[in-house]
Amino acid sequence: MKLWVVLALLAGPLAAQSVRSRLEGRVPNSVIPTIDSLVQSAAQEGLPTEPLIQKAIEGGAKHIEGPRIVAAVQVSLGQLRGARDLLVRAGDAPPVQPAEVTTVAWALRRGLPTAVVERVAAALPRPPRSPALHAVADLVAHRFEPDSAATLIIDAVQAGVPQDRLLDVSTATLHEVQRGRNRFEALATVRQLLPNVPAPAKPAHGAVAGARRPAPTPP
Amino acid sequence: MNTIDPRIHQVLDGELPAEALPEELRRVAAQIAAAADLLAAPPAQAGASLESRVMARIRRPPPSRVRRMLDWLVTPHALVLRFRPAWSLALVVLVAALTLFSVGDDGPELGEREGIAQFVGRFPGARSVHVLGSFNDWRPGSIALEDQDHDGVWRATIVLPEGTYEYMFVVDGERWVPDHLAERLVADDFGRENSVVIVRAARR
Repeated sequence: MKLWVVLALLAGPLAAQSVRSRLEGRVPNSVIPTIDSLVQSAAQEGLPTEPLIQKAIEGGAKHIEGPRIVAAVQVSLGQLRGARDLLVRAGDAPPVQPAEVTTVAWALRRGLPTAVVERVAAALPRPPRSPALHAVADLVAHRFEPDSAATLIIDAVQAGVPQDRLLDVSTATLHEVQRGRNRFEALATVRQLLPNVPAPAKPAHGAVAGARRPAPTPP
Repeated sequence: MNTIDPRIHQVLDGELPAEALPEELRRVAAQIAAAADLLAAPPAQAGASLESRVMARIRRPPPSRVRRMLDWLVTPHALVLRFRPAWSLALVVLVAALTLFSVGDDGPELGEREGIAQFVGRFPGARSVHVLGSFNDWRPGSIALEDQDHDGVWRATIVLPEGTYEYMFVVDGERWVPDHLAERLVADDFGRENSVVIVRAARR
């Protein structure tokens, strides 16, 4: 029992040290304490911290001034809090899963209306909701009406389409548009096919043969 | 085989005068005597001809390298093939192994939860193009695109864990450019837009 207490007491400072070491040399030194405190706040609230660290590092890589980096991290923290609240409203019991919070925050950043995200989250009570939200966001990015897009994806889940095939539903719908159907017809056509959707194309042999792994990033 | 009249032998040997023979035998004896003279004469003319032919051949300029090559190509050559079954078998096994390895070079082995991301951008005149994103901690220089045929189209095909990533291109180490071919763009909160790529586990 004592060991757990010691580990718990050490976990906070170690995590802080880890965040600082990741930020050092990547963002202006003057803003590291502020960003670190924002990250620690997120951790204490049970929110994911990686999106905040990524946003700070992204700003540093783009040579953004320190105060603007802090502002962007604060915006990201606000989005994560909003995503957590949305999931609770949709029926998730707190503490919500950090991965789900990240997914919902990302969907909202992509411009999905809050009501639509909440509707999808409520209709899919079991995580992960990431594939469903990606599929809806894909359709909305191609100028499908958000509510109709969400309805199609929810129908696909209820028809038994596995989570990892939901992006195939949005892809099939986009292909129907490319074949000349209007968006309403495309949604109707794919809905009639459910739960069958065309399998995604395998990566071309040449593409796989020419692929390489990125060099590992130093810690 | 015809037999020669003994009187002809006597005439050829000088034991009997030719006039002693009848007319018909005297003509045969004269033909045989002429043939014997011809055989007895030295082959002076034939020797001179051979010598002149050999000397003419020696004095002729040597043929060119091309000519010799052509002569070698059109001249039949004997090929003697000797082999030891053990070495031959080893050679066959080596060739088969090399062939199998070359056919099996399908690029990196993809993990269960890995997929392929292709980055393509048109940057004519660029000296370098890199892609930075959440997949490489926005670390400069870690993933370079290549323009192997110098047509201004830069490419990179990368193995990534499945997931959603934001990224931008960096041209010549200083110019940040979103991937306008990407179907998804999202505000980066710094006044620009990041491109978005969704990497799905490759189905094999």
